Amino acid sequence: MNNPYLPVGATIREVVEESPTIRSFVLLPDEPVPFLTGQFLALTVPGVGEAPFTPSSSQYVTDRLELTVMRVGTVTEALHAMRPGDRVGVRGPFGTGYPLDAFRGRGVLVVGGGVGLAPLRSLLLTLRHDIERYRKVALRYGARTPADIIYRREVEEWRRDGRIDVAITVDRGDGEWTGRVGLVTTILQDTGIDPRDSVAVVCGPPVMMKFATFKLLDIGFPPAAIHLSMEKNMSCGFGKCGHCRLGTVYVCRDGPVLTYERVKDFREIWE
Amino acid sequence: MATYFIPTEEWEALVRALSRSARLYAPRAEGEDYRLEPAGDDSPPPPFSRYRAVQSLKAILFEPRFDVGGYLGGGDAAGPAGGGEAVVLGAKGCNIAALAVLDFALGADVPDPFYARNRERTLIVSSDCLDFKEVCFCTLVGGRPYPERGFDLNLSPVEGGFVVETGSPNGEAFVARFKDRFAPASPARLAARDAARAELTARLREHQRRLGYLWGAVSRELVERVFESPVWAEEAERCVECGACNFVCPTCHCFLLSDHGRERFRRLRNWDSCQYKGFARVGGGGSPRPALFERLRNRYDKKFVFCPAVIGVSGCTGCGRCVEACIGRIDMREVMKRLSGCK
Ligand code: SF4
Ligand code: FES
Repeated sequence: MNNPYLPVGATIREVVEESPTIRSFVLLPDEPVPFLTGQFLALTVPGVGEAPFTPSSSQYVTDRLELTVMRVGTVTEALHAMRPGDRVGVRGPFGTGYPLDAFRGRGVLVVGGGVGLAPLRSLLLTLRHDIERYRKVALRYGARTPADIIYRREVEEWRRDGRIDVAITVDRGDGEWTGRVGLVTTILQDTGIDPRDSVAVVCGPPVMMKFATFKLLDIGFPPAAIHLSMEKNMSCGFGKCGHCRLGTVYVCRDGPVLTYERVKDFREIWE
Repeated sequence: MATYFIPTEEWEALVRALSRSARLYAPRAEGEDYRLEPAGDDSPPPPFSRYRAVQSLKAILFEPRFDVGGYLGGGDAAGPAGGGEAVVLGAKGCNIAALAVLDFALGADVPDPFYARNRERTLIVSSDCLDFKEVCFCTLVGGRPYPERGFDLNLSPVEGGFVVETGSPNGEAFVARFKDRFAPASPARLAARDAARAELTARLREHQRRLGYLWGAVSRELVERVFESPVWAEEAERCVECGACNFVCPTCHCFLLSDHGRERFRRLRNWDSCQYKGFARVGGGGSPRPALFERLRNRYDKKFVFCPAVIGVSGCTGCGRCVEACIGRIDMREVMKRLSGCK
């Protein structure tokens, strides 16, 4: 019997400290776990439990998985205590992923906040893989402080090589920060991306998602062109356990990325 | 599908034979109630239950706590398999209505393999109600005190025996297997069945009317319209967050996976309750429904808005179990009545 409740084993190969509370884990699964960018996995810390994460690696890399995890609860706490060589489990992939076909030939404005850059990194790596398919790709990223910026070196590289138009802002600077200060909503205009024929992709903390969405609507993005990563409590991952219900959708099965058009009439979308 | 007639003695002999070849669940009378339990082959013939049992079919098809297997060397096989064919007697209209919800929730897309297996190997024999409990309100949510589809076999008592209706290929195969015991149902017997059904339905409707429950037809609009009503908070004051309403509900299907073991890692599937504070809480601690009244409202929203919209049937079957189970005496019929008064 094919048992969708059980994970395949994976070995942690590398742990990267991204910020005081965020670490990236490079996993070598015992068997390949192919996924489409935007789909998520349930990560098992043996004997402790599972939590859902969208991989931050490219969908074209299949021999290893990268997950970036903020320490916030029991499972992530236990995961942060793990070292290279330790064993975990992965189950999935679940959900539908970003509709890349619908992005083709259009501008893509990627808006991230904090650890929300993790799933977006997978998207950006996948977009960069054949960047010529898209009219223009821009990243607008906001973090609380400079220390909270994740993938800092990589984002710098992206900025330099110019395939993606990158701008970063922090809520609060420190002594060395010479970049922009302010909320990410302040840098969504004048990106050179025409909102009438482009898509926006948003991932970050709920409040940031909410205000970024309102700003994008303001600028002229249609509700159906705004793709939101919804964070909900999840257990099964494939539309059975009922935990992730939002209005008439199951976020695990129908999302986790849903257009604003799809969710705008539901309550509880920003909570 | 087709209708037949079987004399009472023949049916009882058949049940005795069945109890030797399959796991049999049958109602057992206990005071005014019936308990749906495994029946041994030496137990007396199960009574014909007048209305639904205390337990719903959910507990048989979707175990409260089930080991779905081990991982990372914890042994893969799920267990215990609890194997073999099963036959359930005594399901009622509201039980059968609940199957439509469970089948969709646990069986659609990627099915829960354990539910699918239980469903496959369980023959469901339902029967018409002959009476109703005070808490019954199936007729308010589009149901009837007799099943019309969704069973394998349905029994309607008539003079001298039962009219048997088949509702699935499995039911047909069952009748074919024991065809000597069945006769065609005469028009007179079918008419007697229909008359008894109409009489009970009318009596149940009269019961609702006397209690002032007239909200049935508008229930869905009702919950959508009264989202901001103060009634939710007032009713939730008596909720102690025990989850009993969810656990006794024949359609509630939410569950939580939990991990156990230090060396042999096992995973369990456990019934969960959307009334619990942590149900929808995310890793960071945020919750879309921090207040108890929001969770109470959520249960009605799932039953009366989500289920009709997504599954096409009511998520409430009107069985009244939650009314009986709630120690805070929160009565869904009353809640709906109060809500319908607040425009
Ligand atoms: S709710 Fe209806 S179908 Fe269920 S036991 Fe009561 S009368 Fe029978
Ligand atoms: S996580 Fe179980 S239904 Fe979505």
